[in-house]
Amino acid sequence: MDDHLIGVLSNIGVMSFLALSAYLLLLTGEISFGQQAFFAIGAYAAGIRTALWGWPLFAALAWGAFAGALAAVLVGLPTLRLHKLYFAIATLAFAEMVRILFEMWRYQVSIDGELVGPNGADGFRGIRSVFESNIDPVQYLALIYGLLAATLAGFVWLERSRLGVTFRMIGQDAELAELGGIAVRRCKVLAASLAGALAGIGGGLYAHLTTYVEPRIFDVMLGVHSLAYGLIGGLGTAIGPILGVVLDIGILETVRVFAGYRMIVFGGLVAILLIWCPRGLLDEKAMHGMHMRLWPRRSFRTPPSAVETSP
Amino acid sequence: MLEVSDVVTVYGKIEALKGVSLTVESGGITCLLGPNGAGKTTLMMTIAGILRPRRGSIRFDSAELVGSTPAQIVSRGIALVPENRLVFPQMSVRENLAAGAYQRSDTGGIAGDMERLYERFPRLRERREQLAGTLSGGEQQMLAVARALMCRPRLLLMDEPSLGLAPIVVDEIFRIIAELNRDGTTIFLVEQNAYKALQVAQRFYLMEQGRVTFSGTPGQLAEDEVIQRAYLGARRAAG
Amino acid sequence: MIDVVQNTLDGVMIGSSYALLALGFTLIFGVMRRLNLSYGPTIMLGAYLGTLLYVQGGAGPATVAAATVLGAAVVGVYVERLCFAPMAAGAGIASMVSSFAIWMQLEQAAILILPRHTYAFPPLTTAAPLTLGPFLVRLDHAAMLAAAAALAAAVHLVLHRTRFGLGLRAIVGNATAAHLVGIDVRLSTLAAFALASAVGGAAGYLVLTVDQQVTPMFGMWATFKGLIAMMLGGLGSIPGALAGGLVLGVIEAQAQWYFGPQIRDFLTFAVLFLVLVVRPTGLMGEAPSADAAAPGRA
Repeated sequence: MDDHLIGVLSNIGVMSFLALSAYLLLLTGEISFGQQAFFAIGAYAAGIRTALWGWPLFAALAWGAFAGALAAVLVGLPTLRLHKLYFAIATLAFAEMVRILFEMWRYQVSIDGELVGPNGADGFRGIRSVFESNIDPVQYLALIYGLLAATLAGFVWLERSRLGVTFRMIGQDAELAELGGIAVRRCKVLAASLAGALAGIGGGLYAHLTTYVEPRIFDVMLGVHSLAYGLIGGLGTAIGPILGVVLDIGILETVRVFAGYRMIVFGGLVAILLIWCPRGLLDEKAMHGMHMRLWPRRSFRTPPSAVETSP
Repeated sequence: MLEVSDVVTVYGKIEALKGVSLTVESGGITCLLGPNGAGKTTLMMTIAGILRPRRGSIRFDSAELVGSTPAQIVSRGIALVPENRLVFPQMSVRENLAAGAYQRSDTGGIAGDMERLYERFPRLRERREQLAGTLSGGEQQMLAVARALMCRPRLLLMDEPSLGLAPIVVDEIFRIIAELNRDGTTIFLVEQNAYKALQVAQRFYLMEQGRVTFSGTPGQLAEDEVIQRAYLGARRAAG
Repeated sequence: MIDVVQNTLDGVMIGSSYALLALGFTLIFGVMRRLNLSYGPTIMLGAYLGTLLYVQGGAGPATVAAATVLGAAVVGVYVERLCFAPMAAGAGIASMVSSFAIWMQLEQAAILILPRHTYAFPPLTTAAPLTLGPFLVRLDHAAMLAAAAALAAAVHLVLHRTRFGLGLRAIVGNATAAHLVGIDVRLSTLAAFALASAVGGAAGYLVLTVDQQVTPMFGMWATFKGLIAMMLGGLGSIPGALAGGLVLGVIEAQAQWYFGPQIRDFLTFAVLFLVLVVRPTGLMGEAPSADAAAPGRA
């Protein structure tokens, strides 16, 4: 497998975590423009653990996930009670605050005579744990996709579980869910913490993939991208956001013909796609149709989303 | 004047109107009765052009309305006083009335009409610079009716004008409805308060679950026990 | 003390541009109940047209201004047609994501038109600053404030003294009722978008005459300023948008003076976050209705 392809696939894998993170929140009806903040937190947290404290990779990734989840809960508690629009903007504000904080933060430790650690706007170099452990790119790719597969299995379980149905119910009509006895706020915070953890894992994987992170990367663009992946690929299934990532990175990478016009073409295509499929390619309707065809007699536990096209 | 033929309207995934047919004769008051959820508001919204039927036709003086935008339907002479009034809350009473005359350009005529409406609804004159959102329910209802009248409609649609209003205010509303009709406006009225509605209407239709199930004159209704029991119920005691 | 007052002066003047940006944003939000993420880039493309005429054609300030405003309006119409008009009532996030996709499209278009990172933008005036006692007033700032005030007044007149403005306020008040009184909501919405983009274009022009340069980052910058000012002042409120812009300008000026640009930016977002958590309706706004952009809601 050539290096470039491995790089692209690794990128897709890592970004999928971010996409799934935004998707999970969308299930409960919340739009977040700020998942990149937890991605950043995960990246820095995991990077610091391996590069400065010599932790093994898995422990560091777990720590990154934890840091992401914790931050998400802290932010989610005061903001999830707000109206959706306010929440969305609050996530934007929070993410920018985090980015600027990382631009100002220096935490460097001398290791073997060299300064290692986050260096403000210059970023955090030398996250070389993967290389130093002699994990080659293909193995790392396998690691990324192994974790992604486990995550997807988790989502499959979620879709069939009561919790998953609860999330979707909240997403469709939170007031109704509340009246039905569901602790909406608590569920949303739970979803937010899981989403934060997912973004955190993704961040940790990203940091170790590129060995270098800088605050500039974790900007609004990345945040809206993570939201867009789900919207393009489809909100009916966890495969949707991943499909969105594949389409974005995969197609853009391979169709070099467009070169300088890539975004013009891609942006236009996305806008047109959203006119026809406002909830993405694999939206709830498509998934319902697929389920009906594949398993006509088995009952479909997830309630189909009635995408109201009222006047 | 208005002929609704076999209209099917889908709302979300539900077929709210399953093939509705009725006629509103020019000059009188026709009322549409029926329980909650029967589709009465959906029918009104369909006639007004807010909702688009999947099938069927709505003819106003032989001109087909289906496919027209709400603005076009207003220009043909139909105005709807919607359920829940829907006044423009941050605009004054006067501005609400001005909005009602949006399609008109005859400033003199508009001013004259506004004056006449202030005569008919003195409370609106008192409150004409007040924000519509701060009016009481009854006053908002009057404003909604006056606003609809500003476009000089030939057919006035009214969706549950008595909803949520005190009995004394309801009496006033119905007095105005009768007055408007006497002065030449054809009225098509949706009402939950069947008792009051039948006092003013010349003809009525009954809608249940998306279909018209009965039609007739108020006199006929009194003779039909089944319907009386089902829809007038306790209100009959008030009669 | 003198610093505080000087900063407030400066802040109010820059804030007047933020107020205009917020005004445009609010017009769109009020009518569509959705966030337009392409707002800044729309203005940027207008500015690029202006700078193109300046750099390659030697056009004067008036021509550049006209080009910026008209360019922004035209691009605004493009965005409305593609990202907002075709979307059904329940597809709020689809609209926002679509406007984001177009944001990227517009940014790349800008870079293609003018590939270098920075381009000069003609100043309104190069006269020396005025001295009022211990305070300094830059003339270009003062011009910005005056122009912004005039423009805000003009928008107010349009909204309150024209039939079109009445229609817009009706749509903001209750979209269904607006249909019912015979307003062509689609057309009015399109016109509102064009107007809002034009106002944004004017705001952008004023800011750029002070900076005297334009970069591709301007789009995102303008969207942020407009959004934050609008939220500070209160969603959906025009007086709020103006107040929010001025307040934002003052906060930035004070923060920049005492703490530098990074903390200034941090504080800007921190204030926004706090306002949202503590008093989401901002200084003067109203609570958003249930039909504001939300997934799965009609």
